[in-house]
Amino acid sequence: MMFSAKVTWTMVQTAAYRVVTLAGSMLLAACTSTPADDAGNGPIAGTVHLCSSCHGLDGRSVSPTFPRLAGQQQDYLEAQLHNFRDKTRADPHAHTYMWGMAAHLSDETIAGVARYYAALPPATGGGGDPTLVAEGKAIFRDGVEARGIPACQGCHGENAEGQGPIPRLAGQHFDYLKEQLAAFASNQRANETMHENSLPMTGHDIEAVATFLAGQ
Amino acid sequence: MRISAGRAVAVLWATVLLTGLGAHDAGALPLYARQTGQECAACHNGFPELTPYGRLFKLNGYTFPGAVPGANGTAYVPPLSAMVLASFNHTQTSNQTPLPYFSANDNPAIDQVSLFTGGKILDNLGAFVQGTYDGVGHQLHWDNMDVRYATSYQIAGTEMVSGISVNNNPTMSDVWNTTPAWRYPYVFSRFTSGSPPVATLVDGALAQRVVGMTAYSMWHRLLFIDAGAYDTFSKTLDKALGVAAPPNADTLQGLTPYWRLALLHDWGRNSVELGTFGLAASMYPGGDHSNGTNRYSDRGVDAQYQFLSDEHSLSFQGTYIDESQHRSADFASGSSSNLSDHLRSLNLKATYGYDQTYYATVDYFRDDGSADASLYPGSASGSPNGRGWTFELDYMPFNHGGPSFWPWANAKIGLQYTTYEKLFGSGKNYDGAGANADGQNTLYLFLWLAF
Repeated sequence: MMFSAKVTWTMVQTAAYRVVTLAGSMLLAACTSTPADDAGNGPIAGTVHLCSSCHGLDGRSVSPTFPRLAGQQQDYLEAQLHNFRDKTRADPHAHTYMWGMAAHLSDETIAGVARYYAALPPATGGGGDPTLVAEGKAIFRDGVEARGIPACQGCHGENAEGQGPIPRLAGQHFDYLKEQLAAFASNQRANETMHENSLPMTGHDIEAVATFLAGQ
Repeated sequence: MRISAGRAVAVLWATVLLTGLGAHDAGALPLYARQTGQECAACHNGFPELTPYGRLFKLNGYTFPGAVPGANGTAYVPPLSAMVLASFNHTQTSNQTPLPYFSANDNPAIDQVSLFTGGKILDNLGAFVQGTYDGVGHQLHWDNMDVRYATSYQIAGTEMVSGISVNNNPTMSDVWNTTPAWRYPYVFSRFTSGSPPVATLVDGALAQRVVGMTAYSMWHRLLFIDAGAYDTFSKTLDKALGVAAPPNADTLQGLTPYWRLALLHDWGRNSVELGTFGLAASMYPGGDHSNGTNRYSDRGVDAQYQFLSDEHSLSFQGTYIDESQHRSADFASGSSSNLSDHLRSLNLKATYGYDQTYYATVDYFRDDGSADASLYPGSASGSPNGRGWTFELDYMPFNHGGPSFWPWANAKIGLQYTTYEKLFGSGKNYDGAGANADGQNTLYLFLWLAF
């Protein structure tokens, strides 16, 4: 493309002015429109937008490094945010991402964020190797008495939906579930009950259970 | 329209002061790590390549909060950080005209010392401001600057992040590591004369010599648009900012429009981008108005793919730039043999990372253009064509937190080797006086520290 005529070049410059003006107008219009997320509670809208940068739009994260929060138990979310803020939850990703994120959150913001995500429709999974899904389902429903693995559903609910401070597991990322079970077993993530529960699980058990739950 | 020296310097100092005043909220820049309380690896894959989260941090105006300064026994640190780059440089053939204060070969150097400020100034306003002492050219100069206002909102239930960036380098406002301002190689030896010998205009020629404003929007984390224009300074201001070009450097006529469009998508641990960008500039050669201007039209296509996990990471970048040159002024003065020339460049790079600590990179670079004997007097054939490879190994020990006495420190120790297969149209005797392309092969051992 050659600018052989003065008129054409001026048109390019004018176009540049127009683009910038248009974009600037959009920006000004944006300043008066609704906040980034339909968070329902004005003060936490900005925080939810920040959370979404890793945890995804509508609480459905893309990367399994970051757990899905949509439809998670409110009490559980509050407890985790408090644990990140006081650094009592210390698995590696907690350290890399969440200690900084939670440090500036007030109790009110934590409560508001937890309420927001708990109210979102949970993500459902799907797929997974049928053999692993069947094995995982059996461990989840009945445990493995011989090896001291309790039935997960006893606390996490029949449909892995969680209750109160015990988290929803259904539809969570496969890799995230695997990482947490390993972190519990090694005590990188401190939780006495889950440490006892995960210690007897083999790598294959963890694969199976995580496959089943991710598919729910 | 020339930006007057006084007005621009005032704006610059206002920016620096405002940043400092806004510091109460700030408690691969340690400046940003201290602001967010997060480790470098959260935003960066190696350095300075950005992760998807790092891209969003930048697009949201560098304002994401996190750490509480002075909390939990940590000392308050003002919103500053510093960077030192030191190196050892070896070229296959010694330089016949060594740089002032340096030897013909095997030069240790402090490549640069930089000071940064920025981060969150106000709720929606943030910055990246860098000043540099160039230890090879022995000059203090302002470096990359990006002050941006960003906001996010909903359109028909979908997310829109929009902003305005005032910056001094076309493509500096971008968030992928494909466009020239942030593309590999991030550091390189200053002692090689042919690396590559010829570049398109968008590939750094205007860096820090212009100021411009671009407006951008990212819709639904799927579509990104950025567009604006740049202008140059008066010569007085150029000198004050330490970027005084040589007396015979080209100057811009009028505004230089810039545009950028990209499609992006993240899924699982993968992220991909495909885009286009460009600028169009009208320049007086050597600042001389008597023959009119040369006109340059740059169009680029770029693509990036990343796979990021704790243990393994893969990253591919590709950039192709096509430049049309209408050299009315050069042709009239006899500086070019042709009225019109073109120049094309291709860069392809792949990096593998292990444990976010060890990295290996392979990069292929190439440029092809019209042969023009008057334009390229150093080329026996008149051709600007060149190509070669760069290989690099890096060790980053502090990506998950620095030493206990300074947890925000980071370091990259790297060994880089660049080999030239062709320079100025030929592998052997490209200048007619016996110089071979591989004579410019360069070994670059560097230590890059950030505080």
